[in-house]
Amino acid sequence: MTLQKLDGKTLAEMILQGAHHLKQNSQMIDALNVFPVPDGDTGTNMNLSMTSGAEEVRMVDQNHAGIVSKSLSKGLLMGARGNSGVILSQIFRGFSKVVEEKETLTTKDFSDALQGGVTTAYKAVMKPVEGTILTVAKDAAEASVDLAEQESDFIPFVEGVVAAAKESLKRTPDLLPVLKEVGVVDSGGQGLVTIYEGFLANLKGEELPDIDDTVSMDDMVSAEHHKLAQDFMNTEDIEFGYCTEFMVKFEEDKLAETPYDEDEFRNQLSEIGDSLLVVSDEDLIKVHVHAEYPGEAMTLGQKYGSLINMKIENMREQHTSIVGKKKKDKPKSNQKAEYGIVTVSMGEGIKKLFESLGATVVIQGGQTMNPSTQDLSEAIKEAHAKRVLVLPNNKNIVMAAEQAAEIAEDEVVVIPTKTIPQGMSALLGFNPEADLMTNKDEMISLMSVVKTGQITYAVRDTQIDGLNIEKDHFMGIADGKISSTDQNALTTAKTLLKQMIDENEDEILTILTGEDVEDEDVTELEEYLEETYEDLEVEIHVGGQPIYSYIFSIE
Amino acid sequence: MSVDLNNKYGHITISNEVISTIAGGAAVECYGIVGMASKNQIRDGLSEMLRKENFSKGVVVRQDEDRLHIDMYIIVSYGTKISEVAHNVQSQVKYTLNKTIGLSIDSVNIFIQGVRVTSE
Repeated sequence: MTLQKLDGKTLAEMILQGAHHLKQNSQMIDALNVFPVPDGDTGTNMNLSMTSGAEEVRMVDQNHAGIVSKSLSKGLLMGARGNSGVILSQIFRGFSKVVEEKETLTTKDFSDALQGGVTTAYKAVMKPVEGTILTVAKDAAEASVDLAEQESDFIPFVEGVVAAAKESLKRTPDLLPVLKEVGVVDSGGQGLVTIYEGFLANLKGEELPDIDDTVSMDDMVSAEHHKLAQDFMNTEDIEFGYCTEFMVKFEEDKLAETPYDEDEFRNQLSEIGDSLLVVSDEDLIKVHVHAEYPGEAMTLGQKYGSLINMKIENMREQHTSIVGKKKKDKPKSNQKAEYGIVTVSMGEGIKKLFESLGATVVIQGGQTMNPSTQDLSEAIKEAHAKRVLVLPNNKNIVMAAEQAAEIAEDEVVVIPTKTIPQGMSALLGFNPEADLMTNKDEMISLMSVVKTGQITYAVRDTQIDGLNIEKDHFMGIADGKISSTDQNALTTAKTLLKQMIDENEDEILTILTGEDVEDEDVTELEEYLEETYEDLEVEIHVGGQPIYSYIFSIE
Repeated sequence: MSVDLNNKYGHITISNEVISTIAGGAAVECYGIVGMASKNQIRDGLSEMLRKENFSKGVVVRQDEDRLHIDMYIIVSYGTKISEVAHNVQSQVKYTLNKTIGLSIDSVNIFIQGVRVTSE
């Protein structure tokens, strides 16, 4: 089907679906909102503006594109809410100005109208900020000029416009530093893309998923596939435990011995598993099978050639973890807890420690992988509590945490812990009976009592604080300051501890061992400490953290 | 007149000029506002749009005991929803001042001094 002329009725339907799609996604857009003011309302504002526009459009009973766009423009102006809503109203105001006389539109008209919208939108601002909805509108309009020359059919034309808008949206973090910092695309731009997507879907007569995710087709297929398994099965009911996928590349000599017969091969496989899929061409066979003994399936395949791209997954494990997750998610629907604690850690061991200390949600993150404001916002929501305390445990995350706290609906307080030990001792000061501010004061005062030592390795040669550090040597860091270095982690640890421990004052040393630490090293360190510091109480936990071989907490 | 902040090392004085420049800068970044206008249009010329260094003429910072009020005189673009643009300016100014100098503003009053009609 081709569509050369867009009439008023079709345009109205496009607009209604654009508005609907925006509404479906408004919460996601809210979550992206960090600019200009991170108050998380862009999606809501755009939705209210667009809904008002759509209402006007709904009342038009003439099949005239110019009149339809004019009513959209009017509705948007009346309903404009927030910065993005006002911009949206300007974009469509300019749009309608260009086409107000036209009963039907060609792709050329549509492109002119998009450009008219951009011109009007840019006129209404003294200092246009790039990397926002304005940029997305501009890039899409620019792309539409070429597209209109090549395409007189609306479907590929709008497809191209949507693609250009999406590309432009992807670039917004490069233009607007605040977006990059937080790791999101511009919320207003996302809103506009969502509207355009609605236009396209309507033209193609498609249903749109509520949330635009860019999962590849393969992932979707396997997600569907496994979803069935989760919902209708108990872990114990899985008969064939391994999802096995592989390809067989035919080899001449093997084929000479055993000629390939697809039906026969399929029959053989069906005896050892289910969910069977066999596809073949001249060079390859692709196999997907759920089998209890994946090796058997592969042996069968090997008769015809060599195996490539093998992938075996333990479905019982997956299922248990998914079901486990579901169970964890459940309390969400219940009433909100009085207090929730969100903290950031690296390593499984540390995560468990935090959970045992009372943390509600532990997100993974640390020196080299800082969670974004959005990750933190989600964690705050997940904590599902009236009051939430956030412990970032890293100075680079404190800012993001504060931003997340600002946009959260619940009462959120950030305890600016800069290290894991600080986070742990701050947690010890938490009192569920006390109010938020009392807790904050108490936790902050406890957090400064603890001394933090860290052992990590140097990524390059450097000279700092009077120390010559060679690449791959270990460094001991005392409360953020590099104070010792050696090629041996254990020696560095001993030196660092010597510098940090004050035998008259310090009583407890907690050691968190990193993922790269050997057991015998830990034993040696423990023995050394027992001999050297008789009165010191030493606790050792497997932290499992990357980057830091040891984290010491001294108090 | 100026704003004083105290901390353990001493105190910080921020003149109203600074506050009005920041407020003006934040406002013109808002969509829909095409410029700042002088609060005293008759004396300063009717159609004059203020340049950045003169924002203080269009922004009045008033201190009432320990409460801060800001009056802003702005020119908006024709065809925008003026109430919404004004509202955006209010929230943007309040947010920016809070972020940059940690000031909490009690009220941001907007006076629309002009509408710029551009040829379309």
